[in-house]
Amino acid sequence: MTTIIGTIRKNRTQTITLAALILSFLLAIQGMETGDWIITILRGLSVAAVTFLVASGFSLIFGLMDVLNLAHGTLFMIGAYVGWTAYVRPDTLLDLATPAALFFAGLLLLPLWDRWLSRVRLAPQAARGLPWLALALGVGALAFGFARYPITGWDVTVYDKSPVVFGVQLDLGQLDLPAPAIVGAEQLGVSMLCLFAGGGLIALGLTLLESRNRIAAATTRVPWRALLLALGLALGGLALFAWNDALTAFLVAAGTTWRFLIAVIVATLVGAGLGALMESTLIRPLYTRPIYQLMLTLGLGVIGREVVIALWGRTQMQMPKPALFNTIGQGCPAQTIFDALANQCSTISFMGSRIRTYNEIFIFIVGVIVLIVVWLLLQRTRIGMIIRAGVQDRAMVEALGINVRQVFTFVFALGVGLAALGGVLAGPSMGVSDDMGESLLLSALIALAIGGLTSFPGAAAGSLLVGLLQQFIVKYGQIGIALPFLEQPFKPTPPLVPASTLLLMVIILLALPNGLFGRKE
Amino acid sequence: MDNLLQVRDAHTFIGQFHILQGVTVNVPQGAITALLGRNGAGKTTTLKTILGLTPPRQGQVIFDGQEIQGRHTFDISALGIGFVPDYRAIFRDLTVAENLQIAERKQGDLARRQELIFGLFPDLKRLIKLRGTQLSGGQQQMLAIARALVAENKLLLIDEPTEGLAPVLIEQMMKAILQLSAETTVLLVEQNFAVATQLAKYYVIVEEGRTVKSGAMPDLLKDEATIHRYLGAA
Repeated sequence: MTTIIGTIRKNRTQTITLAALILSFLLAIQGMETGDWIITILRGLSVAAVTFLVASGFSLIFGLMDVLNLAHGTLFMIGAYVGWTAYVRPDTLLDLATPAALFFAGLLLLPLWDRWLSRVRLAPQAARGLPWLALALGVGALAFGFARYPITGWDVTVYDKSPVVFGVQLDLGQLDLPAPAIVGAEQLGVSMLCLFAGGGLIALGLTLLESRNRIAAATTRVPWRALLLALGLALGGLALFAWNDALTAFLVAAGTTWRFLIAVIVATLVGAGLGALMESTLIRPLYTRPIYQLMLTLGLGVIGREVVIALWGRTQMQMPKPALFNTIGQGCPAQTIFDALANQCSTISFMGSRIRTYNEIFIFIVGVIVLIVVWLLLQRTRIGMIIRAGVQDRAMVEALGINVRQVFTFVFALGVGLAALGGVLAGPSMGVSDDMGESLLLSALIALAIGGLTSFPGAAAGSLLVGLLQQFIVKYGQIGIALPFLEQPFKPTPPLVPASTLLLMVIILLALPNGLFGRKE
Repeated sequence: MDNLLQVRDAHTFIGQFHILQGVTVNVPQGAITALLGRNGAGKTTTLKTILGLTPPRQGQVIFDGQEIQGRHTFDISALGIGFVPDYRAIFRDLTVAENLQIAERKQGDLARRQELIFGLFPDLKRLIKLRGTQLSGGQQQMLAIARALVAENKLLLIDEPTEGLAPVLIEQMMKAILQLSAETTVLLVEQNFAVATQLAKYYVIVEEGRTVKSGAMPDLLKDEATIHRYLGAA
């Protein structure tokens, strides 16, 4: 008991702020019918979950590396587009899987090059030029091979073949995939070989670059595990190619629920891969130059958006909800959650209104699961321990002999993966469009400022506040607030939704300059 | 007499400032060498230069027979160098146990070494579940040294271990450092001249970023002029 009072005394401002927040929350509830405020809270939680996925990744990256990743909103959006593709166009996904597998199989030759390099001595001139030559050849081979590989895609310039149409088709339950692209055996073989060689050459270039400033620890063992993995990947890629049509048919028949699961996994992994790639190639040379970093991530965000527009077209696309959350009629709206699951209802009726199972329940549950998993990762694993220590003192972690670069890459991959997961989850509820990331990045930044920039619980609490506030303002925009000195109830207009979160941020930062959970620097 | 570590004519810049302008340090195997000098002479920067935290622009650092300047800090440290910085750098959000675990380089390092660590600092065993923020200055210093002992390091770089400690704790810290120097070579930065003379067998004096004198500790004690000129102590 005394310890509780002691803690409250120590954190007086926090306690007052918390009390004020609870009070205003209770006040906000007072103005609504019971059913209304419960649904508003549920909607708020759902918005909070998506905001949290973006905010937590952003905060992990900023906390450990001091990188403000302004491309985070774009990466969220890319997650949605990649997820959309896996979901609506499983044939395109499978066509892309084979080249990707071959390329990564090539990349996995890296330890083999490493072993080879530890045995040969290169002349200084060769050591300077060779890595770049290998990288250039690798990228060239990759582009050459990829351009010749048959991929069944879409055509953004022709309306009938554009992504928009496939989204609508799936929504109507009439998905009509185009005939698979076919090329001659010779071209196919050349293209596959080039993809594999591209990966191998890039791996060689990277090994050569790395070997220039490295301790000469000769690796003598043959890296069997990596080689077996490379072989497995290559064979897997070929198998995917051999059974491409059958697998496509299987995925189409498997239904939207399973495809959605696949879409979520693929989008998260692609996001993580993009994050790792960004960190290891573009961000790494700029750790000591924060302004350049900012320009870089800002620019990457713009470029990413243009690439998405070029590949998928400018219009908003539909991403229908998975079947598990999409049935109308036949015992729907359901009375309980269990009925809703059994009948795959899109809504549950609740005190005169309806709760959408996908938007208000599923997204929130995924958000909570991610919160718990990342929390356990941070608290219970060695890498989590290193991240927590690195947020405070990166130099000391390095001085303990820990390769912080690898941890940086991991955290970047994790953060971007979370954003991409948020994107694919938000797709069915928000719609997929090229500007979906911007407003969300802003919300996430506000949530982080409220919660304390580098605090993981802070990211959760800030997202929660931002989500709830937004939805309460939206709801009051419909029913109006009865104010004593006004004849008509005051109805907040839509622009007040983002403005209100900014106002909340300003108030909280005035009371607590470091945010709710932030530390004094 | 073998030198475990040699710093040869190191020049280090921090930003535009030419901090080290020719530091040469020899650290003989199996003994304590004290790095002496006034405030701002470049002692801490010398340690950071060895570790690659502020890499030298010129000169060589040779550890255990290989040149290590220009390598990544984590590579240098992994060769067997432990670091105890002057600001202690205890990880606030980690418990005492985690502060030790994080220093493991191989699985089970801590289990192998805990007898030694808790033998030197019995207090830590009692504090094992506390967080870094909850420790006193002396406890933080013990933990910082203990953390450098978890991995099997050949060399410890210890920066100002007695700074800000009560006399009783200084005694205890000196005993601990003497004890651990029986199996590990130590390069010690110490402002407290009395402490340094009791612990170290060899000394190096730096002044304005340059090595001005070095040798065996007993010789320094006889040389009052040098002590007066560079250390301002008597």
